[in-house]
Amino acid sequence: MPAPGCGCERQAKIVGVTEVLIQGGRVLDPASGFDQTADVLIRDSVIARIGRVSPPAEIRRIDAEGCLVAPGLIDLHVHLREPDPQSTETIATGAAAALGGGFATVCCMPNTQPPIDSASAVEYVNRRAALVGAARVFVVGAATLGRRGQQLAPIASMARAGAVAFSDDGACVADARLLSMVLRTVRAAGRCFMQHCQDPSLAGCGQVNAGHMAARLGLPGWPGEAEEIIIDRDIRLNRAIGCRYHVQHLSSGESVSIIRRARSEGQPVTTEVTPHHLLLTEDCCRNYDPQAKVNPPLRTARDIELLKEGVADGTITILASDHAPHPLDRKQLDFADAAFGIVGLECALPLYKAALVDGGVIDWQALLAMLTINPARLVGIDSIGLGSLAVGGPADVTVIDPNLDWTIDPREFSSMGRNCPFAGREVRGRAIATIVGGEVRMLRESERVTA
Amino acid sequence: MVPAAQNRHLLGLDGVGRQELESLLDQAQVLGPIAAGRAPPLDLATGRIVANLFFEDSTPVRVSFTVAARRLGADSVDQTGSGSSLSKGETLLDTALTVEAMGVAALVVASPCEGTPARIAAAVSCAVINAGDGRHEHPTQGLGDILTLRQRWGDLSGRVIAIVGDIADSRVARSNIHGLTTLGADVMLVGPPSLVPVSLGSIASGPGRVTVVHDLDEVLEKVDAIMMLRAKMEAIAEEDHSAFRLTVARARRLRPEALVMHPGPVNSGVEIDSEVADDSRRSVILRQVANGVAVRMAVLKRSLS
Repeated sequence: MPAPGCGCERQAKIVGVTEVLIQGGRVLDPASGFDQTADVLIRDSVIARIGRVSPPAEIRRIDAEGCLVAPGLIDLHVHLREPDPQSTETIATGAAAALGGGFATVCCMPNTQPPIDSASAVEYVNRRAALVGAARVFVVGAATLGRRGQQLAPIASMARAGAVAFSDDGACVADARLLSMVLRTVRAAGRCFMQHCQDPSLAGCGQVNAGHMAARLGLPGWPGEAEEIIIDRDIRLNRAIGCRYHVQHLSSGESVSIIRRARSEGQPVTTEVTPHHLLLTEDCCRNYDPQAKVNPPLRTARDIELLKEGVADGTITILASDHAPHPLDRKQLDFADAAFGIVGLECALPLYKAALVDGGVIDWQALLAMLTINPARLVGIDSIGLGSLAVGGPADVTVIDPNLDWTIDPREFSSMGRNCPFAGREVRGRAIATIVGGEVRMLRESERVTA
Repeated sequence: MVPAAQNRHLLGLDGVGRQELESLLDQAQVLGPIAAGRAPPLDLATGRIVANLFFEDSTPVRVSFTVAARRLGADSVDQTGSGSSLSKGETLLDTALTVEAMGVAALVVASPCEGTPARIAAAVSCAVINAGDGRHEHPTQGLGDILTLRQRWGDLSGRVIAIVGDIADSRVARSNIHGLTTLGADVMLVGPPSLVPVSLGSIASGPGRVTVVHDLDEVLEKVDAIMMLRAKMEAIAEEDHSAFRLTVARARRLRPEALVMHPGPVNSGVEIDSEVADDSRRSVILRQVANGVAVRMAVLKRSLS
């Protein structure tokens, strides 16, 4: 799907000739339904063989016994903060964080300084990402100029430059007339529109979920209705247009039923959910801890229940971290002044597992589909073989030890962001290797390799 | 439930148990004559310094804390400045840590932002007292109001107190809701639906009940005390405003023994007619001010010991 000459292809070319054998893992490929213990042989940046492989004498091996071997994970909602003079993250640190969490591919949002709202800005990010050579980076371009919600961005030329989707993330495209123009243009470009669903007239100054905690803390509320109203309206507007329409960071349980109904009518509507919206409630804001301040806000146990139902019945098909790094001094402020956002790339995987697999909502195969083939299809990168494991396809592989116990410690993150309300949480499961285009770019346990 | 170290803070009346609340009120009662200057000051805290960190201007509260500190024998210093942490260009935490590093024994914090005292308390090792944070809480005001009622009634169980006005934006209301319900009193929150959302009815966990009422005339005959909040003129349309004003006519419908309260400063003729505010048979407004010093002494004494 991405145009020739975009960053992904360049990234694929910098891979050296290598051979890697991933031995004895449970190979899971949600795209094909494959689920067997097998070896995976990687040669010249592609998958050469899946099955029993009698290893050549001289080959790099990764012992994957007891591990899951999955297509390289994809996170289609991250903030890499480059370009940005404040550089609270860079493509280098963000893409390294992605590898650490098992993500071979990320899609970065355009709310940078200046925003990614031109073909040259898209090319800039692609070029930087290719030079960094960590996780693959695809660009989500701004839907409106400057993300100001007043005028269309040059969507067609940004698409030609390699933007895989469009969004004003962090801001909602609230003007209905402009939105319908965005949807038409994005559809014509063959891309997907991702909406940050927040009616600004209802939730513009909201700090926490409207309800019990807002009343108790005296903070302005951000009600779930501000999300639902936009989803409802957008789906109605899109009915005659038929653009691929994606709801970002779903937070309100009621939103699930709106999306469920639209999908059952065959509308091209998808949605994603984050680890924090699956695990944390507004109670985390009780002591005005700005680490729990995020947009949309943490809501209630009932919302979590409904979000999980949405995952279980296939209404929610994608998991995304909304990795949003902020420097300490933007978080060590009064709650109302502190920045919205949570970093997630390096701890998302075990948190998804805790919320969904341990909770019996879905199994590993379904979880991995939400992290591989589903996001790949949404942004069209399945067309270059990402999101699945196929012989002859690009060797993007993530090896996961589902039983590895560890404690989340943001001080150890590769990300420059330390803003994580999960700090200190004990979790089980971790990516131990991330392979991108045949290159082992992250390997957690050196003892697993034999030369 | 609260560890000993945390006991020295007073961040709000939310979560303060009945026993602790009563011991603070008992202490304030004992300190009353000293607070009023009718008995010589104490030397309980000689050489210790209480720093008033006022990130917003509320002079009467600051003066009240200063008087309270001096009557205990402590010294008090002020650091004042307006604006949020963002506009100051340094974090409030930095300011608090700097002042703490000078060896002060307690920080009294007032802020236009909700949660500032809680954030500072989490960062420093000295005691932190909330002197009002945004729309959240104003616990010493609440304690003074409750002490005033206790002096009249003794036990608060089963008493009904109406709080009238812009409840959603009121820190005084929140502290009173928590304190009064913990002591078994029922609270009626009275005001227009735009300023008294129903969600406020569920913020307290005490034995007393909280109800939300949108009609002042409906509650007049039912209450043992009525607390009028200072009205923000811009928040309510003029005709709605008069619907929640305690006029002379409405005051006549109160029970004969019902008390009239106001956290001050009063907008005479806006939320309350001056004849009502000044009616010495009902109005305990000046008593609230005097009790403010006594409860601040009790709170500081607890924090400094």
